[in-house]
Amino acid sequence: MSELVLPGDSLGIHDGVPVILGPGVSCDPMTQEVIPVNAGVRHYIEKKNTVYVDYNAKRYIPAVGDLVIGTIVSTFADSYKVSLSDFSASVSLSYMSFPNATKKNRPTLQVGDLVYARVLTAEKELEAEIECMDSVTGVHAGFGLLENGMVISVPLSFARTLLFNDTFPLLSTLAQSCQFEIAIGINGRIWVSTDKIENTLACYRSLNLCAKTNDSSKFKQIIKEQFKLAANVIEE
Amino acid sequence: MSRLEVYSPEGLRLDGRRWNELRRFQASISTHAHSADGSSYLEQGNNKVVTLVRGPGEPASRGQLDGQRATLRVSVNVTKFSKFERSRTSHRNERRVLEIQTSLRRTFEKACLLHLYPRTAIDVELHVLEQDGGVLGAMINGITLALVDAGVAMWDYVAGVSVGLHDQTPLLDCNSLEETAVSTVTLGVVGKTEKLSLMVVEDKIPLDRMENVLAIGIAGAHRIRDLMDQELRKHAKNRIDNLAGKQ
Amino acid sequence: MAKDIVISNSEREFILESLRAKQRLDGRNFDEFRDVSIVFGNEYGDVLVSLGGTKVHCRISCEVTLPYEDRPFEGLFLISTEFTPMAGGQFENGNSTGEDEVLIARIIEKAVRRSGALDVEGLCIVAGSKCWAIRADVHFLDCDGGFIDASCIAVMAALMHFKKPDITVQGHSVVVHPVEEREPVPLGILHVPICVTFSFFNPQDSETNFKGQDNLEIVVTDATLKEELLREGVLTVTLNKNREVVQVSKAGGLPMDALTLMDCCHKAYEITDKVTSQIIAAIKQDYAQRDRYAAVLSSENARDATA
Repeated sequence: MSELVLPGDSLGIHDGVPVILGPGVSCDPMTQEVIPVNAGVRHYIEKKNTVYVDYNAKRYIPAVGDLVIGTIVSTFADSYKVSLSDFSASVSLSYMSFPNATKKNRPTLQVGDLVYARVLTAEKELEAEIECMDSVTGVHAGFGLLENGMVISVPLSFARTLLFNDTFPLLSTLAQSCQFEIAIGINGRIWVSTDKIENTLACYRSLNLCAKTNDSSKFKQIIKEQFKLAANVIEE
Repeated sequence: MSRLEVYSPEGLRLDGRRWNELRRFQASISTHAHSADGSSYLEQGNNKVVTLVRGPGEPASRGQLDGQRATLRVSVNVTKFSKFERSRTSHRNERRVLEIQTSLRRTFEKACLLHLYPRTAIDVELHVLEQDGGVLGAMINGITLALVDAGVAMWDYVAGVSVGLHDQTPLLDCNSLEETAVSTVTLGVVGKTEKLSLMVVEDKIPLDRMENVLAIGIAGAHRIRDLMDQELRKHAKNRIDNLAGKQ
Repeated sequence: MAKDIVISNSEREFILESLRAKQRLDGRNFDEFRDVSIVFGNEYGDVLVSLGGTKVHCRISCEVTLPYEDRPFEGLFLISTEFTPMAGGQFENGNSTGEDEVLIARIIEKAVRRSGALDVEGLCIVAGSKCWAIRADVHFLDCDGGFIDASCIAVMAALMHFKKPDITVQGHSVVVHPVEEREPVPLGILHVPICVTFSFFNPQDSETNFKGQDNLEIVVTDATLKEELLREGVLTVTLNKNREVVQVSKAGGLPMDALTLMDCCHKAYEITDKVTSQIIAAIKQDYAQRDRYAAVLSSENARDATA
């Protein structure tokens, strides 16, 4: 059940029932009415009694728990500065938020390296912090340096769909054409890596084109074409 | 006023040179040994350029600090009295001067081994005391000499020269009178190679004559490189002799 | 330019690696210019040029003014290129002293104004007291590399498309006829300069670039923004259809073999030829569109040629 809502619309939440507010909704302090504040698709999860609006944006604002891909822009005495999107304030990544990190055992990342990380804190008054491990368990959890490969910038909603929607056909279609490693950042960055340049190039172009179309039935054709194109040129 | 005869039928130019002759080229280094780490004074025809190099040293601000390589800065001061008529305004912040600064910086960023001096700044300061055509080329030569004097590591010399095209004859190293009459090309040539670090054309030149002009320019730049080389070696020999004399 | 766009090492290496394999991210060949689209607005001299993802708008305006004292027989011509954050977050508002901003402005100035593309003597009305001042305002709307090439096309297309109001001189008074009253007159265009930008990449280390004889440097025509951020050298060649080099600017950067640079100039000529024809065709089409009722409205009698 998807319904388009715009700021100023009514969400149709019944009074008296306690409800958990997700992104894109707000509670008017005067009237105690729950209203949408972003334009997007309204979602209501009855089991958890949660309401949120799924909306698209181009600029990423850090939120706790998000999986992101960042580029290291500078190093400091005890932390890295990491850029999550262009022209935005950078976030910090402490040397201690790596698995097995101690005061003496420091991570060896360089300026310009890509990291897959999770947002640890995101206060709107403070610089956000990210971490390269699961800070609850202290284990590796698949975060850290992303080597080689290529990065694709996509709209935030596309990245979310790719990560959370298991029925979204793109990745399974792509997997039919080649083997690849992928990391999806909620901040609208996707990292792919394959063993051959032409495959990475084809993945890059396919993902770029697919992010631009709304029609998921076209994915198969786009991917097929791109792989054919890349393979042909390399052979020549 | 009759039209100037830029190139006479006998093959002589306004100042009596042949088409492939350079102007008088005189250079000296370590001219400002106390105020700068490297310096040169260059006369290329009537162009007079003083170049001062400071660095590699502590950068003035944190913004200039680069953890990987030295930051090179070039500032050009074209003096008010450098031309025949005194200019009323200062040339600083003129777009033309800003463009020259950028061109020079980008030329020498590649020519120097800046990655050997991380977290430092190298400041290059040029003063044009007199200009008489092809001043950009003279600036390149001045910086090359001063950087060598300062002991900054470089891959090779960069030699600058301008070439004009009069009808079908290329004229090497044009002075300002010739520059007003013909179109000129300024080249920055790397050492004894045919590689161009800088190439600037500001007036119309037939496409099919370009190759010819470039060939003459490269040959001229090689000669300038040799002249600079001679001067530097002479200077080095003096120093070595002095050392030997003291012992 | 673009100091706030962060490019990661992975991207840098991948783009270079694909260039070594003769591949560009957008699938173009190395010497392929992106498609140019030229769209005219309602008014004369109002044009929107897009070059791939780059969009540039140019608007020509004119007014009657006093000529310079030292050039009484010439009109005024000014090209204003102002960068605003509209083109991208990397551009600051009101700051036109950035290196790339200065270079772009200077190259357009040299290519169009200094080369005499516009006949400024034709702008004189009364020597020493009245002349036309033509102003070209370039607006950068979207940035995906190739600002110089796109804005040069935009300025030239707009100048060729523009028409100034007709005038009558009676002694010292000048009558400017409104466009509704009298057909306006086009400007005098002496030649059409077109800029083509080449970017250089070094697949080896800088020592082989300086000392080697192989000349393996990669030359790429009409770079996109990502390629622009990674390139090590740049050459902008301006040519016109008469095989004249109008302006060349290789402001430092990667040293390149002279023959390679000559080769670039010849490649640029082919592109210039194609783009010039495209501008002329676009203007012709636009004029035809404007005059589509001319035949109906004409009061002339159709004469039978055979009679």
